[in-house]
Amino acid sequence: MKRFMMKYLMLNCKEATILMAKKEEGKLSILGKMQLSMHTSMCSFCKKFEQQTKQISKESKHVHAEESMSAVANDRIIKMIDEHSF
Amino acid sequence: MEKQVIKADPKKWFALYGTLLYQHALPRVNDVEIAEDLVQETFLSALKGLDGYKGEASEKNWLFTILKNKIVDFYRKKATEQSFMSMPDLRAAENDWFDKEGNWAENRMPKDWHASDNPTERKEIQKIINSCKDHLKALQQHVFTLKYLEDLESEEICKVLNISPSNYWVLIHRARLQMRDCVEHYWLKN
Repeated sequence: MKRFMMKYLMLNCKEATILMAKKEEGKLSILGKMQLSMHTSMCSFCKKFEQQTKQISKESKHVHAEESMSAVANDRIIKMIDEHSF
Repeated sequence: MEKQVIKADPKKWFALYGTLLYQHALPRVNDVEIAEDLVQETFLSALKGLDGYKGEASEKNWLFTILKNKIVDFYRKKATEQSFMSMPDLRAAENDWFDKEGNWAENRMPKDWHASDNPTERKEIQKIINSCKDHLKALQQHVFTLKYLEDLESEEICKVLNISPSNYWVLIHRARLQMRDCVEHYWLKN
């Protein structure tokens, strides 16, 4: 029984990291969630992977450029706005 | 009750949000001219839709919603133009990351780090994410950008890029592995 559990319920790291992406979108079954939390509770690498990936996901939304638009484009858009405003 | 008249001032909007819109667009399309065009198109759509603007959402949110649609359209167009773009063989590539048993390969094991919540560290990690994203290969980069920078759901991304769900999960998994590895590399270097 124990061997059966190990074989069918235990995930390897590759499977665990795949399930994390699905979990993020709420696309994980109850069994999947159980398997994943069992794996991450024992595997410090996958635990780190999950935390770091979450942070990347959170900060990605705020990624922005530092530089401004070229003066040419800037003037072009102002001109366009003038032409359309009355 | 007197009907409130909303005075729209697109020129002022441009002065206030033009740069922000551009700075948002650029890392998402990776091309200065395209980013400028998308900002211009955003204002053109806004001018045309002024009558429909009820002042419910803030002008800023309204403009950003228009821009988001333009960015998604850009990827949709790109996907039709590049329909020849074949799926890379990702299954083989995953052997770089995991051993035969599916455990982390020795040189790929996640190290111990995290960015704190202070503004300097957040800004730093955002910069690193931005440059790491540029190292992703075409389709992986599109999937990553739409999912994490533009916050789209997987179903919508599949439609926009015209890829199957199973290809999507392979691509996003690979992109997440690569991004985390790259961010770690630059984060620990600093």
